[in-house]
Amino acid sequence: MSDSEQVTAEQTQSIVRWFRGLLLVGVLTWLAMTVYQNATDPDSANPFKLGLDLAGGSHLVYVADTSGVEPTEVDELMNVLRDVIERRVNIFGVSEPIVQVESSSAVSETATERLVVELPGVTDVGEAVAEIGRTPLLEFKLYSEELAEQQAAIASLSSLSESEDSSSSTISIDNVTINGESVSDEEYPFEDTGLTGRYLETAMLEFAGQQSGRVAGEPLVSVRFTPEGSKLFAQITRDNVGEQLGIFLDGDLLSAPVINEPIVGGTAIISGSFTPETARELAQNLSFGALPLPIELQSTQTVGASLGEEVLQSGVKAGVFGLSLVLLFMVAWYRLPGLVAGVALLSYITIMLALFQLIPVTLTAAGLAGFVLSLGMAVDANVLVFERMKEEYRSGLSSREAAFSGFKRAWSAIRDGNITSLLSAIILFWFGTSMVKGFALVFGIGIIVSMFSALVITRTLLLMLPDVKERQGTLMAKLIGCGIKTGDSSNKAKK
Amino acid sequence: MASKLATVLTKRKNNMFAITHKKIFLTIATAVMAVSILLVATLGLNLGIDFTGGSLTEVAYETAPEKVEVEEALAALELGGISVRESIDDVDREAYLIRTRDLTEPERESVQGVVVALGEGGEVTRFTSIGPVIGQELRDKAGWAIFGVVSIIVIYVAFAFSGIGKPVSSWAYGGITILVLIHDVIVPTALMSVLGYLFGVEVDVLFVMALLAVLGYSVNDTIVVFDRVRENLVNNRTEHKKEIQEAGIVKEEVTYTLNKPYDEIVGSAVQETLARSINTSITTLVTLAALFFLGGSVTQTFALILFAGVLAGTYSSICIASPLVVTYANYKARKEVET
Repeated sequence: MSDSEQVTAEQTQSIVRWFRGLLLVGVLTWLAMTVYQNATDPDSANPFKLGLDLAGGSHLVYVADTSGVEPTEVDELMNVLRDVIERRVNIFGVSEPIVQVESSSAVSETATERLVVELPGVTDVGEAVAEIGRTPLLEFKLYSEELAEQQAAIASLSSLSESEDSSSSTISIDNVTINGESVSDEEYPFEDTGLTGRYLETAMLEFAGQQSGRVAGEPLVSVRFTPEGSKLFAQITRDNVGEQLGIFLDGDLLSAPVINEPIVGGTAIISGSFTPETARELAQNLSFGALPLPIELQSTQTVGASLGEEVLQSGVKAGVFGLSLVLLFMVAWYRLPGLVAGVALLSYITIMLALFQLIPVTLTAAGLAGFVLSLGMAVDANVLVFERMKEEYRSGLSSREAAFSGFKRAWSAIRDGNITSLLSAIILFWFGTSMVKGFALVFGIGIIVSMFSALVITRTLLLMLPDVKERQGTLMAKLIGCGIKTGDSSNKAKK
Repeated sequence: MASKLATVLTKRKNNMFAITHKKIFLTIATAVMAVSILLVATLGLNLGIDFTGGSLTEVAYETAPEKVEVEEALAALELGGISVRESIDDVDREAYLIRTRDLTEPERESVQGVVVALGEGGEVTRFTSIGPVIGQELRDKAGWAIFGVVSIIVIYVAFAFSGIGKPVSSWAYGGITILVLIHDVIVPTALMSVLGYLFGVEVDVLFVMALLAVLGYSVNDTIVVFDRVRENLVNNRTEHKKEIQEAGIVKEEVTYTLNKPYDEIVGSAVQETLARSINTSITTLVTLAALFFLGGSVTQTFALILFAGVLAGTYSSICIASPLVVTYANYKARKEVET
């Protein structure tokens, strides 16, 4: 290889290095802008999700009494319960409520099933508790041509294109809408009959027999009324053969079977295109008065909205100050590499925030504190590498060789330290309650991202720097050489 | 200041201060631990409602009533034991923290009605009520989580250092890591005891998280030093291969001898990682300080506890972990001579 070829090879390499670095910086800048846009744009699809302690709101924990049911059924019943409560909470008009089932994990002796309800923005717990604890409303309503026409007329007035749809929209008989869109019942063309869940005794899942004129094995829901309800039901069905009877739960249309004949026995069969699952769910919804399990309020937590805002702001302020101090320290101590670590730290923040938005991670005061703390700890891998690099650089290696060697030799420490931390995060996530889980998640993601920022971003940027040797004594050589010198006379120079 | 400390420490001719002064360092550590345990044992921990169950109401006022008034008004409701603590809410209003047993919905309403009416501009800014079952469960979970984290760390350390061999087995490094962790956890716990005793600060879930974060930090710190020990051991040993014949099979036995005394190897490892230990603790402490002074009241205790934990963790990784390894190695060597 001739000298000139070697020079060009080196030039190409340096161009490649610069290209990689600039590409990385470009991608990160773009990411930072996206994060910023998502955070500031109120209509953004991926905004930051703030926990109740930052946004204000109520956090309610209900415990479900599962003593009366088969252990095998508990999971399913809890899901039904969640759906029911979710429906009620939606009626309450809360933006983005969270309703989730939480089973106590293997560590406690007795398995308790809980329902966690989070209501952002609701600070009047009394009202919320009343709404959730309210008896569900099961209604039987008759389809009304008159109402349907009126509504169609209104709809056609308000929008021409929509009118075509709604005029032909007799609620399809075979269609079962469970947990349907939260359309208020005014939009359904149904009239009250006075028959409600009060008159219901039980509802059961059944399968059609051979002779019933239906497809054998088709899932059905059979309903039994109380004696009083039977009378009412008999009268309604006698008077309205051929009409549709809509079954409503909390204002949502569940199913609208057609009355084939007067039903006097106090039982009714609801058919439709059920799957065994939806039929079972409906039967459960109906027979338990919509609440499959009795629930009891076990804990409440409310944070005022203004207070949450204050906590958020001070958290952010602490983060900005903490970050500035860390950046200052890194630049003061490690000079140019310190600056690179600063860029890596900013990238760490950008990636973390982007992940918070995308996953999304619900940010709480504790999570925020954990994140601020992680700013200090995230530079650790950089510090490890730089200290190793410094040793190599002092021993006469060129800055680039020192960087390569620094990364190589610091790797085992970075690996072992981070793996133990990651294992801890996994265990925390496993055992933790929801609050600890959030912390563990932030902690775990933080470890992976900080490793990425040190091993990829710092490395790429560091290799972009010119290759110098310490004894050259140029400005660049001084900028890359970092920190105080250990154990020799050069300490005198620094005071 | 820290850099000065580093300068002073590194200026010594002797490049293994941590080992030569191990007696002093270990004595300090033992004393600190003894005092900490004593503090926790005598003062106890002020368990908050997260763990015991109960309810906590923060009520803020424009013009706050006297504490006695609040107490008297609440006593009239006959809810059993009540504690009222003066506080300041996040917008700097005078506030009271009222702790009672866990309240039912009507009880909550009557309590809030009573306290809000006591002073001008009364407002309930925070309310938490936790059933005793959840409290107990959380206590169990916190215990299990800490236990789980500690065990996985020992196992990993023992595994990661399994090639380290002589003169100290990798399990010793794992065991010492645990001792160090106990030190690092007991110090912030003692601080919590003192805070609870002096200011009525209560142990909550955040405290457990702070302890877990301390565990993470401290283990990382200790591993960095041990990693350097491992590296230096490999670099400073001579390999001896010996072929032995055993039941007709020729085996190659590899033994190592160290070119330098073990304590010297450990000492220089501490020395070489000193700058990183101090620098990482500075950046972490700096962010914690920002969190303490600016981060709002919710996380102030969290920051303070972690601050203590990180200080303890830095001290222990430099001045406890390695001296202990050397002490253990010496002890083993002495025993071998005896037998």
